Amino acid sequence: MAVNRQAPPADRAVFWYGCNMLRHGEVIRASARLLDAVGVETAPAGGPSHCCGSPQEANARIAEGMARRTVEAFNATGREQVITWCPSCHMNMQDLMAPVTPVRFDTAHITEVLHARRDRLRRLLTHRVPARVLLHRHLGFQPRVPVNDLVADLLRLIPGLTLVEHPLAVPGHMCSALAGVPGALAAAQRATLDAMAQAGADTLATIFHSCHREAVILERGRSLRVANWVHLLAEAAGWPCEDGYKALRNAGNPRAVAGEAGLTAAGEAAFERLIEPELRKPPPA
Amino acid sequence: MSLATRIDEEGERLAAACTACGACVRACPMTPLAPGVEAADAGAVAAGMRALLRGEEAAPEAIAWIGACTRSGQCTPACPERLDVALMMRFVSMRARGALGEAPRVAAKADSGWSARVKAFARLTLTEEEQARWL
Repeated sequence: MAVNRQAPPADRAVFWYGCNMLRHGEVIRASARLLDAVGVETAPAGGPSHCCGSPQEANARIAEGMARRTVEAFNATGREQVITWCPSCHMNMQDLMAPVTPVRFDTAHITEVLHARRDRLRRLLTHRVPARVLLHRHLGFQPRVPVNDLVADLLRLIPGLTLVEHPLAVPGHMCSALAGVPGALAAAQRATLDAMAQAGADTLATIFHSCHREAVILERGRSLRVANWVHLLAEAAGWPCEDGYKALRNAGNPRAVAGEAGLTAAGEAAFERLIEPELRKPPPA
Repeated sequence: MSLATRIDEEGERLAAACTACGACVRACPMTPLAPGVEAADAGAVAAGMRALLRGEEAAPEAIAWIGACTRSGQCTPACPERLDVALMMRFVSMRARGALGEAPRVAAKADSGWSARVKAFARLTLTEEEQARWL
């Protein structure tokens, strides 16, 4: 179903990609390029120095300090809009950050911005992406931003791509929330695989980064593809956008995939202590 | 206004307007994964949530429900009082984890390596120029 929303006005914006998106550098890069291509000149900003405070939600004083630093940094840019990626960041900005620290910008989600300018986006998407795609939908962010409908509309712009119909929308606002409740993520993934089989889908399109990071392992031993919606748009635009995290996560030996250059860049000790345990984490049970 | 004040004052306003009818609990897709909640009276679970929002004690089923909240947002449209129940749940989730300095009733999702981990991924996935401009 097509969604009609007003075009967000800003042509210069901060692209606030969040913290955990740093696992997916190619998605940050492609997202900024997509925004630029539809006429929004962005300044990407993220990482712990631009945190919404949610990692410290058990301490309001610390969370507030982190959030205030971020709001003040965005205010200082003079840009009138902050374009979000992460649903946690987006909701925290509206619910916890802006009511506490005055903001000099409005907030829009990247899907709203691209959707509002989809006529320009359509012209970029000239490469066929033959795939039968199930969109990985969550219930939680949809009432705030109808992201399930917006991303569906964006994927329908891709030549050769068929978006299959299925009513499944799993609980939570993204998969990282489900991961914190025993059994919830595994149940959502089983339901997703069942939905793909029922709908005859060969590709699962994730919307959010944490969902993508949890879903890429579904490719193991199965004849299906997991791609983020930005990967699919980039592919249709003919842009390089290799899924680096998936390659690492599904490799028998992630160190080999990272290579000498990757290990040096991340830091040998940091890779071993911080990155490798996540990449070798077993599937949810 | 501080964040703690917002949680406390806006939480109290929402708690005062809540009738604990239980519609939010019945609409929640996570109740099957929250121990004891499906078997409990939905109104009692909602009353417990309201109590926790005020920093008061609550039954284990209410604590289990708060602990299982994944921000599905189905509670808000279910509320006959048209309260922003998802925001109530956000506030109560923080408060129950000790955000206002009270004893935690729900275990906080602690990841002491979060910041170092995302920085390590940044070094792995971004160029040095991108790190300099985007972090």
